[in-house]
Amino acid sequence: MITIDKLCYHSKLRYENAGEKFAFAVITLCICVMSRSIAVACIVLAATGILSVWKGGIPVVRYLRFLTLPLAFLFLSTIAIMFHIKKTPLDLFAIPVGGWYITTSMDSFLYALQLILTALAGVSCLYFLSFSTPVPDILHVLRRLHCPGLLIELMLLIYRFIFILLDTASAISTAQSCRLGNRDYRTSLKSFGLLGSVLMIRAVSRSGKLYDAMEARCYDGRIQVLPENHPPKKKVILWIVLFDTALLLFAIWRKFLV
Amino acid sequence: MSKQQKRILALSAALALSFGIVPNVSAMHIMEGYLPGGFCIAWGILCVPFLAAGFFSIRKTLQEHRSLITLLAMSGAFIFVISSLKIPSVSGSCSHMTGTGLGAILFGPSAVSILGLIVLLFQALLLAHGGLTTIGANTFSMAVAGPFVSFGIYTLCKKSGMNRRAGIFLAALAGDLFTYCVTALQMALAHHADTTIGGALAKFLVVFAPTQIPLAVIEGILTVLIVMGLETYAKPELKAIGFIKEGK
Repeated sequence: MITIDKLCYHSKLRYENAGEKFAFAVITLCICVMSRSIAVACIVLAATGILSVWKGGIPVVRYLRFLTLPLAFLFLSTIAIMFHIKKTPLDLFAIPVGGWYITTSMDSFLYALQLILTALAGVSCLYFLSFSTPVPDILHVLRRLHCPGLLIELMLLIYRFIFILLDTASAISTAQSCRLGNRDYRTSLKSFGLLGSVLMIRAVSRSGKLYDAMEARCYDGRIQVLPENHPPKKKVILWIVLFDTALLLFAIWRKFLV
Repeated sequence: MSKQQKRILALSAALALSFGIVPNVSAMHIMEGYLPGGFCIAWGILCVPFLAAGFFSIRKTLQEHRSLITLLAMSGAFIFVISSLKIPSVSGSCSHMTGTGLGAILFGPSAVSILGLIVLLFQALLLAHGGLTTIGANTFSMAVAGPFVSFGIYTLCKKSGMNRRAGIFLAALAGDLFTYCVTALQMALAHHADTTIGGALAKFLVVFAPTQIPLAVIEGILTVLIVMGLETYAKPELKAIGFIKEGK
Protein backbone atom coordinates (compact mmCIF):
# COMPACT_ATOMS: atom_id res chain seq x y z
CA MET A 1 0.00 0.00 0.00
CA ILE A 2 1.01 3.64 -0.02
CA THR A 3 3.59 4.22 2.71
CA ILE A 4 3.25 7.99 2.91
CA ASP A 5 -0.48 7.70 3.44
CA LYS A 6 -0.01 5.16 6.23
CA LEU A 7 2.67 7.25 7.95
CA CYS A 8 0.66 10.47 7.89
CA TYR A 9 -2.25 8.88 9.75
CA HIS A 10 0.20 7.89 12.50
CA SER A 11 1.83 11.32 12.65
CA LYS A 12 1.74 13.23 15.93
CA LEU A 13 0.89 16.37 13.97
CA ARG A 14 -2.16 14.72 12.44
CA TYR A 15 -4.64 16.52 14.72
CA GLU A 16 -3.20 19.99 14.28
CA ASN A 17 -5.30 22.34 12.19
CA ALA A 18 -4.85 21.38 8.54
CA GLY A 19 -4.90 24.99 7.34
CA GLU A 20 -1.89 25.82 9.50
CA LYS A 21 0.16 22.93 8.16
CA PHE A 22 -0.86 23.66 4.59
CA ALA A 23 -0.02 27.36 4.89
CA PHE A 24 3.33 26.65 6.51
CA ALA A 25 4.37 24.10 3.89
CA VAL A 26 3.22 26.12 0.88
CA ILE A 27 4.58 29.50 2.01
CA THR A 28 7.95 28.03 3.00
CA LEU A 29 8.07 26.16 -0.30
CA CYS A 30 7.37 29.36 -2.26
CA ILE A 31 10.05 31.34 -0.41
CA CYS A 32 12.52 28.51 -0.95
CA VAL A 33 11.79 28.20 -4.69
CA MET A 34 11.70 31.94 -5.30
CA SER A 35 14.92 32.74 -3.42
CA ARG A 36 17.04 29.95 -4.91
CA SER A 37 19.87 30.44 -2.45
CA ILE A 38 21.95 27.76 -0.78
CA ALA A 39 21.59 29.24 2.71
CA VAL A 40 17.79 29.48 2.57
CA ALA A 41 17.58 25.92 1.23
CA CYS A 42 19.71 24.61 4.12
CA ILE A 43 17.57 26.40 6.71
CA VAL A 44 14.35 25.07 5.17
CA LEU A 45 15.77 21.56 4.90
CA ALA A 46 16.76 21.59 8.56
CA ALA A 47 13.52 23.18 9.81
CA THR A 48 11.12 20.89 7.97
CA GLY A 49 13.27 17.85 8.70
CA ILE A 50 13.27 18.59 12.43
CA LEU A 51 9.53 19.29 12.40
CA SER A 52 8.68 16.07 10.54
CA VAL A 53 10.95 13.82 12.57
CA TRP A 54 10.83 15.37 16.03
CA LYS A 55 7.35 16.91 16.17
CA GLY A 56 5.71 14.52 13.75
CA GLY A 57 7.36 11.35 14.98
CA ILE A 58 8.34 10.00 11.56
CA PRO A 59 11.22 7.50 12.00
CA VAL A 60 14.52 9.14 11.00
CA VAL A 61 15.69 6.28 8.81
CA ARG A 62 12.39 6.25 6.95
CA TYR A 63 12.52 10.01 6.46
CA LEU A 64 16.05 9.88 5.07
CA ARG A 65 15.16 7.02 2.77
CA PHE A 66 12.24 9.02 1.43
CA LEU A 67 14.55 11.97 0.79
CA THR A 68 16.70 9.75 -1.43
CA LEU A 69 13.65 8.76 -3.51
CA PRO A 70 14.01 11.45 -6.19
CA LEU A 71 17.78 11.00 -6.40
CA ALA A 72 17.67 9.29 -9.79
CA PHE A 73 16.06 12.30 -11.41
CA LEU A 74 18.35 14.65 -9.51
CA PHE A 75 21.46 12.71 -10.47
CA LEU A 76 20.68 12.60 -14.19
CA SER A 77 19.60 16.20 -14.56
CA THR A 78 22.58 17.42 -12.56
CA ILE A 79 24.88 15.61 -14.96
CA ALA A 80 23.21 17.49 -17.78
CA ILE A 81 23.55 20.83 -16.04
CA MET A 82 27.06 20.42 -14.67
CA PHE A 83 29.05 18.90 -17.50
CA HIS A 84 29.71 20.59 -20.78
CA ILE A 85 31.25 19.22 -23.94
CA LYS A 86 33.53 21.91 -25.28
CA LYS A 87 36.67 22.32 -27.32
CA THR A 88 38.38 24.33 -24.60
CA PRO A 89 38.65 23.11 -20.98
CA LEU A 90 36.94 25.16 -18.25
CA ASP A 91 38.35 26.09 -14.86
CA LEU A 92 37.23 23.33 -12.45
CA PHE A 93 38.33 20.17 -14.25
CA ALA A 94 38.36 18.64 -17.71
CA ILE A 95 38.54 15.11 -19.09
CA PRO A 96 39.87 15.01 -22.65
CA VAL A 97 37.91 12.79 -25.06
CA GLY A 98 39.39 12.84 -28.54
CA GLY A 99 39.61 16.47 -29.58
CA TRP A 100 36.92 17.56 -27.11
CA TYR A 101 36.72 17.98 -23.36
CA ILE A 102 34.09 16.91 -20.85
CA THR A 103 34.47 19.84 -18.56
CA THR A 104 32.96 21.79 -15.66
CA SER A 105 33.32 25.35 -14.54
CA MET A 106 33.13 26.54 -10.94
CA ASP A 107 29.99 28.51 -11.79
CA SER A 108 28.14 25.48 -13.13
CA PHE A 109 29.22 23.49 -10.10
CA LEU A 110 27.80 26.09 -7.71
CA TYR A 111 24.66 26.39 -9.83
CA ALA A 112 24.14 22.62 -9.71
CA LEU A 113 24.77 22.52 -5.96
CA GLN A 114 22.25 25.30 -5.40
CA LEU A 115 19.73 23.50 -7.58
CA ILE A 116 20.16 20.20 -5.73
CA LEU A 117 19.75 21.84 -2.34
CA THR A 118 16.73 23.87 -3.42
CA ALA A 119 15.10 20.78 -4.87
CA LEU A 120 15.78 18.75 -1.72
CA ALA A 121 14.45 21.58 0.47
CA GLY A 122 11.35 21.73 -1.73
CA VAL A 123 10.85 18.00 -1.37
CA SER A 124 11.25 18.27 2.40
CA CYS A 125 8.47 20.92 2.49
CA LEU A 126 6.28 18.61 0.46
CA TYR A 127 7.10 15.76 2.83
CA PHE A 128 6.22 17.91 5.83
CA LEU A 129 2.77 18.39 4.34
CA SER A 130 2.19 14.85 3.19
CA PHE A 131 3.68 13.23 6.31
CA SER A 132 1.40 15.19 8.61
CA THR A 133 -1.82 15.84 6.72
CA PRO A 134 -4.08 13.13 5.26
CA VAL A 135 -5.50 13.85 1.82
CA PRO A 136 -9.13 14.41 3.01
CA ASP A 137 -7.87 17.21 5.29
CA ILE A 138 -5.95 18.80 2.40
CA LEU A 139 -9.11 18.60 0.29
CA HIS A 140 -11.01 20.36 3.07
CA VAL A 141 -8.44 23.18 2.98
CA LEU A 142 -8.79 23.38 -0.82
CA ARG A 143 -12.57 23.62 -0.41
CA ARG A 144 -12.08 26.54 1.99
CA LEU A 145 -9.84 28.14 -0.69
CA HIS A 146 -12.80 28.03 -3.11
CA CYS A 147 -11.52 25.29 -5.38
CA PRO A 148 -14.44 24.26 -7.68
CA GLY A 149 -16.79 21.80 -5.96
CA LEU A 150 -16.76 19.39 -8.87
CA LEU A 151 -12.98 19.06 -8.66
CA ILE A 152 -13.06 18.46 -4.91
CA GLU A 153 -15.74 15.82 -5.32
CA LEU A 154 -13.76 14.09 -8.08
CA MET A 155 -10.62 14.19 -5.96
CA LEU A 156 -12.41 12.72 -2.94
CA LEU A 157 -13.82 9.89 -5.04
CA ILE A 158 -10.51 9.26 -6.81
CA TYR A 159 -8.68 9.14 -3.48
CA ARG A 160 -11.12 6.52 -2.22
CA PHE A 161 -10.98 4.49 -5.45
CA ILE A 162 -7.19 4.45 -5.56
CA PHE A 163 -7.15 2.18 -2.53
CA ILE A 164 -9.89 -0.09 -3.85
CA LEU A 165 -8.05 -0.51 -7.15
CA LEU A 166 -4.64 -0.95 -5.48
CA ASP A 167 -6.14 -3.74 -3.37
CA THR A 168 -7.59 -5.41 -6.45
CA ALA A 169 -4.35 -5.00 -8.38
CA SER A 170 -2.22 -6.49 -5.62
CA ALA A 171 -4.62 -9.46 -5.29
CA ILE A 172 -4.46 -10.05 -9.03
CA SER A 173 -0.68 -9.83 -9.18
CA THR A 174 -0.33 -12.25 -6.26
CA ALA A 175 -2.60 -14.66 -8.07
CA GLN A 176 -0.55 -14.25 -11.23
CA SER A 177 2.72 -14.89 -9.40
CA CYS A 178 1.24 -18.04 -7.79
CA ARG A 179 0.48 -19.36 -11.26
CA LEU A 180 3.99 -18.61 -12.59
CA GLY A 181 2.71 -15.53 -14.38
CA ASN A 182 6.06 -13.79 -14.01
CA ARG A 183 8.14 -16.77 -15.15
CA ASP A 184 10.08 -14.85 -17.77
CA TYR A 185 9.98 -11.47 -19.41
CA ARG A 186 7.41 -12.34 -22.06
CA THR A 187 4.95 -13.81 -19.58
CA SER A 188 5.35 -10.92 -17.19
CA LEU A 189 4.56 -8.46 -19.97
CA LYS A 190 1.50 -10.48 -20.88
CA SER A 191 0.47 -10.72 -17.24
CA PHE A 192 0.76 -6.98 -16.80
CA GLY A 193 -1.42 -6.42 -19.85
CA LEU A 194 -4.04 -8.81 -18.49
CA LEU A 195 -3.84 -7.16 -15.08
CA GLY A 196 -4.44 -3.75 -16.65
CA SER A 197 -7.45 -4.86 -18.63
CA VAL A 198 -9.02 -6.82 -15.77
CA LEU A 199 -8.44 -3.86 -13.47
CA MET A 200 -10.30 -1.61 -15.88
CA ILE A 201 -13.22 -4.06 -16.11
CA ARG A 202 -13.42 -4.33 -12.33
CA ALA A 203 -13.18 -0.55 -12.00
CA VAL A 204 -16.07 0.04 -14.38
CA SER A 205 -18.33 -2.54 -12.76
CA ARG A 206 -17.52 -1.25 -9.28
CA SER A 207 -18.18 2.33 -10.26
CA GLY A 208 -21.66 1.34 -11.45
CA LYS A 209 -22.44 -0.46 -8.22
CA LEU A 210 -21.06 2.39 -6.18
CA TYR A 211 -23.25 4.93 -7.91
CA ASP A 212 -26.32 2.77 -7.23
CA ALA A 213 -25.34 2.55 -3.58
CA MET A 214 -24.81 6.29 -3.35
CA GLU A 215 -28.11 7.04 -5.04
CA ALA A 216 -29.89 4.67 -2.66
CA ARG A 217 -28.55 6.90 0.12
CA CYS A 218 -29.95 10.10 -1.40
CA TYR A 219 -26.88 11.27 -3.33
CA ASP A 220 -27.77 14.52 -5.06
CA GLY A 221 -24.42 15.66 -6.46
CA ARG A 222 -22.73 16.53 -3.21
CA ILE A 223 -20.90 14.25 -0.85
CA GLN A 224 -21.42 15.53 2.66
CA VAL A 225 -18.68 14.59 5.05
CA LEU A 226 -18.37 15.99 8.56
CA PRO A 227 -14.91 17.51 8.79
CA GLU A 228 -13.09 16.96 12.07
CA ASN A 229 -12.76 20.34 13.62
CA HIS A 230 -9.40 21.24 15.09
CA PRO A 231 -9.40 24.98 15.69
CA PRO A 232 -6.16 26.77 14.85
CA LYS A 233 -3.95 27.60 17.83
CA LYS A 234 -2.77 31.17 18.22
CA LYS A 235 0.69 30.09 19.37
CA VAL A 236 1.26 27.92 16.29
CA ILE A 237 0.09 30.67 13.94
CA LEU A 238 2.44 33.11 15.66
CA TRP A 239 5.37 30.73 15.19
CA ILE A 240 4.56 30.13 11.54
CA VAL A 241 4.28 33.88 10.86
CA LEU A 242 7.53 34.53 12.73
CA PHE A 243 9.43 31.78 10.93
CA ASP A 244 8.22 32.65 7.46
CA THR A 245 8.74 36.40 7.90
CA ALA A 246 12.26 35.80 9.17
CA LEU A 247 12.94 33.43 6.29
CA LEU A 248 11.57 35.90 3.77
CA LEU A 249 13.65 38.75 5.17
CA PHE A 250 16.72 36.54 5.20
CA ALA A 251 16.11 35.48 1.59
CA ILE A 252 15.68 39.11 0.48
CA TRP A 253 18.82 40.09 2.36
CA ARG A 254 20.81 37.26 0.73
CA LYS A 255 19.48 38.04 -2.70
CA PHE A 256 19.73 41.79 -2.93
CA LEU A 257 22.02 43.05 -0.21
CA VAL A 258 24.93 40.59 -0.18
CA MET B 1 19.88 -21.95 -28.32
CA SER B 2 18.17 -20.97 -31.50
CA LYS B 3 18.98 -17.80 -33.34
CA GLN B 4 15.86 -16.04 -32.16
CA GLN B 5 16.49 -16.95 -28.55
CA LYS B 6 19.99 -15.54 -28.83
CA ARG B 7 18.65 -12.36 -30.30
CA ILE B 8 16.12 -11.99 -27.49
CA LEU B 9 18.87 -12.62 -24.96
CA ALA B 10 21.10 -9.95 -26.49
CA LEU B 11 18.23 -7.48 -26.63
CA SER B 12 17.22 -8.09 -23.05
CA ALA B 13 20.83 -7.79 -21.91
CA ALA B 14 21.09 -4.42 -23.62
CA LEU B 15 17.85 -3.32 -21.99
CA ALA B 16 19.02 -4.62 -18.62
CA LEU B 17 22.21 -2.61 -18.89
CA SER B 18 20.36 0.57 -19.60
CA PHE B 19 17.99 -0.10 -16.72
CA GLY B 20 20.70 -1.15 -14.33
CA ILE B 21 22.32 2.28 -14.35
CA VAL B 22 19.42 3.96 -12.62
CA PRO B 23 17.65 2.16 -9.78
CA ASN B 24 14.27 3.86 -9.96
CA VAL B 25 12.97 4.85 -13.35
CA SER B 26 9.69 6.60 -13.25
CA ALA B 27 8.08 8.69 -15.89
CA MET B 28 9.77 12.03 -16.09
CA HIS B 29 8.18 14.10 -13.36
CA ILE B 30 10.10 17.31 -12.77
CA MET B 31 10.82 17.23 -9.08
CA GLU B 32 9.75 19.75 -6.46
CA GLY B 33 11.78 22.94 -6.39
CA TYR B 34 13.58 22.23 -9.65
CA LEU B 35 12.09 25.06 -11.68
CA PRO B 36 12.47 28.75 -10.79
CA GLY B 37 9.32 30.51 -9.62
CA GLY B 38 8.64 32.37 -12.86
CA PHE B 39 8.70 29.19 -14.92
CA CYS B 40 6.36 27.41 -12.50
CA ILE B 41 3.80 30.18 -12.90
CA ALA B 42 4.25 30.45 -16.67
CA TRP B 43 3.72 26.73 -17.30
CA GLY B 44 0.77 26.79 -14.93
CA ILE B 45 -0.87 29.59 -16.89
CA LEU B 46 -0.19 27.77 -20.15
CA CYS B 47 -2.20 24.81 -18.83
CA VAL B 48 -5.22 26.87 -17.83
CA PRO B 49 -7.05 26.91 -21.20
CA PHE B 50 -6.72 23.12 -21.56
CA LEU B 51 -7.82 22.55 -17.99
CA ALA B 52 -10.75 24.93 -18.38
CA ALA B 53 -11.84 23.16 -21.57
CA GLY B 54 -11.58 19.81 -19.79
CA PHE B 55 -13.44 21.12 -16.77
CA PHE B 56 -16.34 22.49 -18.79
CA SER B 57 -16.64 19.38 -20.93
CA ILE B 58 -16.69 17.21 -17.81
CA ARG B 59 -19.25 19.45 -16.16
CA LYS B 60 -21.49 19.37 -19.21
CA THR B 61 -21.27 15.59 -19.41
CA LEU B 62 -22.05 15.26 -15.74
CA GLN B 63 -25.03 17.60 -15.91
CA GLU B 64 -26.53 15.36 -18.58
CA HIS B 65 -25.59 12.06 -16.98
CA ARG B 66 -25.04 12.42 -13.26
CA SER B 67 -24.20 8.75 -12.91
CA LEU B 68 -20.97 9.11 -14.88
CA ILE B 69 -19.19 10.75 -11.96
CA THR B 70 -18.18 7.46 -10.38
CA LEU B 71 -17.00 6.17 -13.74
CA LEU B 72 -14.92 9.28 -14.27
CA ALA B 73 -13.42 9.02 -10.81
CA MET B 74 -12.68 5.33 -11.36
CA SER B 75 -10.90 6.27 -14.58
CA GLY B 76 -8.76 8.76 -12.67
CA ALA B 77 -7.94 6.20 -10.02
CA PHE B 78 -7.18 3.69 -12.79
CA ILE B 79 -4.62 6.05 -14.34
CA PHE B 80 -3.04 6.59 -10.91
CA VAL B 81 -2.87 2.89 -10.09
CA ILE B 82 -1.53 1.91 -13.52
CA SER B 83 1.18 4.53 -13.18
CA SER B 84 2.08 3.48 -9.64
CA LEU B 85 2.39 -0.25 -10.39
CA LYS B 86 5.82 -1.62 -11.08
CA ILE B 87 6.01 -2.69 -14.69
CA PRO B 88 8.10 -5.68 -15.64
CA SER B 89 11.62 -4.55 -16.40
CA VAL B 90 14.41 -6.89 -17.14
CA SER B 91 16.84 -6.21 -14.34
CA GLY B 92 14.33 -6.03 -11.52
CA SER B 93 14.68 -2.29 -11.03
CA CYS B 94 11.37 -0.53 -10.64
CA SER B 95 9.94 1.55 -13.40
CA HIS B 96 6.48 2.96 -13.97
CA MET B 97 4.21 3.78 -16.86
CA THR B 98 2.77 7.24 -17.39
CA GLY B 99 -0.63 5.76 -18.17
CA THR B 100 -1.76 8.98 -19.79
CA GLY B 101 -1.46 7.60 -23.32
CA LEU B 102 -3.76 4.76 -22.36
CA GLY B 103 -6.06 7.27 -20.65
CA ALA B 104 -6.19 9.46 -23.74
CA ILE B 105 -7.06 6.49 -25.98
CA LEU B 106 -9.76 5.25 -23.61
CA PHE B 107 -11.30 8.46 -22.28
CA GLY B 108 -10.32 11.21 -24.75
CA PRO B 109 -7.75 13.97 -24.20
CA SER B 110 -9.89 16.68 -22.61
CA ALA B 111 -11.11 14.44 -19.77
CA VAL B 112 -7.54 13.26 -19.24
CA SER B 113 -6.29 16.83 -18.73
CA ILE B 114 -8.40 17.26 -15.58
CA LEU B 115 -7.91 13.67 -14.40
CA GLY B 116 -4.19 14.06 -15.08
CA LEU B 117 -4.02 17.18 -12.93
CA ILE B 118 -5.68 15.33 -10.04
CA VAL B 119 -3.50 12.26 -10.55
CA LEU B 120 -0.36 14.42 -10.57
CA LEU B 121 -1.45 16.11 -7.35
CA PHE B 122 -1.92 12.74 -5.70
CA GLN B 123 1.36 11.46 -7.11
CA ALA B 124 3.10 14.44 -5.55
CA LEU B 125 1.37 14.03 -2.19
CA LEU B 126 1.30 10.24 -1.88
CA LEU B 127 4.29 9.02 -3.90
CA ALA B 128 6.54 12.10 -3.97
CA HIS B 129 6.67 11.95 -7.78
CA GLY B 130 6.74 15.53 -9.02
CA GLY B 131 5.81 18.37 -6.75
CA LEU B 132 3.42 21.16 -5.86
CA THR B 133 5.36 24.02 -7.45
CA THR B 134 6.18 22.05 -10.58
CA ILE B 135 2.64 20.76 -11.00
CA GLY B 136 1.96 23.28 -13.77
CA ALA B 137 4.94 22.14 -15.83
CA ASN B 138 4.20 18.48 -15.19
CA THR B 139 0.53 18.91 -16.06
CA PHE B 140 1.52 20.52 -19.33
CA SER B 141 3.94 17.76 -20.35
CA MET B 142 2.03 14.74 -19.03
CA ALA B 143 -1.63 15.63 -18.93
CA VAL B 144 -1.85 18.00 -21.91
CA ALA B 145 0.95 17.54 -24.46
CA GLY B 146 1.40 13.74 -24.23
CA PRO B 147 -2.28 12.79 -24.27
CA PHE B 148 -3.10 15.18 -27.12
CA VAL B 149 -0.32 13.70 -29.27
CA SER B 150 -1.37 10.16 -28.34
CA PHE B 151 -4.97 10.86 -29.16
CA GLY B 152 -4.09 12.63 -32.41
CA ILE B 153 -1.96 9.75 -33.64
CA TYR B 154 -4.55 7.22 -32.52
CA THR B 155 -7.37 8.89 -34.48
CA LEU B 156 -5.06 9.42 -37.47
CA CYS B 157 -4.12 5.75 -37.54
CA LYS B 158 -7.74 4.72 -37.12
CA LYS B 159 -8.84 6.90 -40.02
CA SER B 160 -6.04 5.78 -42.32
CA GLY B 161 -7.11 2.17 -41.73
CA MET B 162 -3.80 1.05 -40.27
CA ASN B 163 -3.44 -2.08 -38.17
CA ARG B 164 -5.15 -1.29 -34.86
CA ARG B 165 -2.39 -2.73 -32.71
CA ALA B 166 0.26 -0.75 -34.56
CA GLY B 167 -1.84 2.38 -34.20
CA ILE B 168 -2.24 1.99 -30.44
CA PHE B 169 1.44 1.14 -30.06
CA LEU B 170 2.48 4.20 -32.03
CA ALA B 171 0.08 6.44 -30.14
CA ALA B 172 1.35 5.39 -26.72
CA LEU B 173 4.97 5.45 -27.85
CA ALA B 174 4.71 8.89 -29.41
CA GLY B 175 2.81 10.29 -26.44
CA ASP B 176 5.53 9.08 -24.09
CA LEU B 177 8.36 10.35 -26.27
CA PHE B 178 6.66 13.70 -26.70
CA THR B 179 6.21 14.01 -22.93
CA TYR B 180 9.91 13.28 -22.55
CA CYS B 181 10.88 15.90 -25.13
CA VAL B 182 8.58 18.54 -23.63
CA THR B 183 9.98 17.88 -20.16
CA ALA B 184 13.54 18.19 -21.47
CA LEU B 185 12.56 21.45 -23.15
CA GLN B 186 11.02 22.74 -19.93
CA MET B 187 14.20 22.02 -18.03
CA ALA B 188 16.43 23.43 -20.77
CA LEU B 189 14.45 26.67 -20.83
CA ALA B 190 14.89 27.03 -17.10
CA HIS B 191 18.51 25.92 -16.80
CA HIS B 192 20.88 26.97 -19.52
CA ALA B 193 23.42 28.96 -17.57
CA ASP B 194 26.53 28.39 -19.68
CA THR B 195 25.21 27.16 -23.01
CA THR B 196 22.45 28.02 -25.41
CA ILE B 197 18.92 26.65 -24.95
CA GLY B 198 19.56 24.25 -27.82
CA GLY B 199 22.72 22.91 -26.22
CA ALA B 200 21.02 22.44 -22.87
CA LEU B 201 18.07 20.73 -24.56
CA ALA B 202 20.40 18.31 -26.33
CA LYS B 203 22.16 17.49 -23.08
CA PHE B 204 18.90 16.83 -21.19
CA LEU B 205 17.62 14.70 -24.07
CA VAL B 206 20.81 12.62 -24.15
CA VAL B 207 21.01 12.13 -20.40
CA PHE B 208 17.43 10.93 -20.03
CA ALA B 209 17.33 8.91 -23.26
CA PRO B 210 18.64 5.59 -21.85
CA THR B 211 15.81 5.46 -19.31
CA GLN B 212 12.99 7.08 -21.21
CA ILE B 213 13.24 5.44 -24.65
CA PRO B 214 13.03 1.81 -23.44
CA LEU B 215 10.28 2.93 -21.08
CA ALA B 216 8.32 4.41 -23.98
CA VAL B 217 8.67 1.17 -25.97
CA ILE B 218 7.53 -0.94 -23.01
CA GLU B 219 4.65 1.44 -22.37
CA GLY B 220 3.62 1.08 -26.00
CA ILE B 221 3.62 -2.72 -25.77
CA LEU B 222 1.71 -2.72 -22.48
CA THR B 223 -0.88 -0.27 -23.78
CA VAL B 224 -1.53 -2.53 -26.77
CA LEU B 225 -1.88 -5.54 -24.47
CA ILE B 226 -4.29 -3.72 -22.15
CA VAL B 227 -6.47 -2.34 -24.93
CA MET B 228 -6.53 -5.70 -26.71
CA GLY B 229 -7.51 -7.38 -23.44
CA LEU B 230 -10.29 -4.88 -22.98
CA GLU B 231 -11.58 -5.36 -26.50
CA THR B 232 -11.70 -9.11 -26.00
CA TYR B 233 -13.33 -9.23 -22.60
CA ALA B 234 -15.01 -5.93 -21.97
CA LYS B 235 -17.19 -4.78 -24.90
CA PRO B 236 -19.99 -3.42 -22.64
CA GLU B 237 -17.55 -1.59 -20.38
CA LEU B 238 -15.85 -0.01 -23.37
CA LYS B 239 -19.25 1.15 -24.55
CA ALA B 240 -19.80 2.72 -21.16
CA ILE B 241 -16.56 4.68 -21.52
CA GLY B 242 -17.39 5.56 -25.12
CA PHE B 243 -20.51 7.09 -23.68
CA ILE B 244 -18.34 9.68 -21.99
CA LYS B 245 -16.82 10.54 -25.34
CA GLU B 246 -20.23 10.88 -26.98
CA GLY B 247 -21.40 13.24 -24.26
CA LYS B 248 -18.80 15.81 -25.21
